[in-house]
Amino acid sequence: MAVELSPKMQAFTQEVFPAIIGTNRKNGSVEIVPVWFEQKDGSFWINGGTNRGWFKHLQRDPRITLLLIDPKEMFRWAQVEGRMVNWAEDAGGDHINHLSHRYLKKDYQGPRTGRITIQIEPLRVTGAIDGRR
Amino acid sequence: MAEGKTASAPLRPAVQKLAALPIPITVATKRADGFVQLNPVWFELKDGFIWLNSNTSRTWPKNLQRDQDVTLLLVDPKVPDRYAQIRGRLVSLIPDPKHEFIDHLAERYTGKPFRDLEPDEHRVTLKIQPVRVTGAMI
Repeated sequence: MAVELSPKMQAFTQEVFPAIIGTNRKNGSVEIVPVWFEQKDGSFWINGGTNRGWFKHLQRDPRITLLLIDPKEMFRWAQVEGRMVNWAEDAGGDHINHLSHRYLKKDYQGPRTGRITIQIEPLRVTGAIDGRR
Repeated sequence: MAEGKTASAPLRPAVQKLAALPIPITVATKRADGFVQLNPVWFELKDGFIWLNSNTSRTWPKNLQRDQDVTLLLVDPKVPDRYAQIRGRLVSLIPDPKHEFIDHLAERYTGKPFRDLEPDEHRVTLKIQPVRVTGAMI
């Protein structure tokens, strides 16, 4: 069942830094990569190409863990365990452009085709922001 | 923990340079239920191995002891598009009863020795062999 983010987490997730996402490879090992994200309406939204390894992993196993960490203060961090509840084609690249403005304050410079938007529902939040290890 | 059975992956100069910065490394392990666990952790790269330290009561070192398998991530704090993902294996688990290694890591990150240990806190050093390196700086 999805959990509601605390006010502290709501504020923390508005800060601008990449999320580190962990997904399960078929061979049982973990893939971790940094990605742009946005938290909106209690869900986490990320964007990628359909050829990305992590998206293939999520289609097989929708469980995903996000590590959010303040790059200037490593003790400010949160771990969000969640699952992909939805994905959709990012037609025209509107969502990646939106993320580009959040992170770089300018239009997205890369290709806007073949992209998808993924919605992640949080199931469990731990870490220093909510004071739970 | 069979040291030396698998070849170590070489870490390129760009990765070594990043690893010399006092930045946390992300440690990815798997909980018993299969969920990925991610923790930011102090580390040191030395002699081609990645050295971590933990309180033995934490979950991630327990996961690591069970699976022996770990994935690590270093992200350039100035350019998040530059990162190195390191697949590794736990090759040694070394008790740190006099908390010498955690003091050494604390000096690297904070310039001071580690805080006083809690009663019943036991520290352990984990030696990780890099097996495969991928990512946007490779």
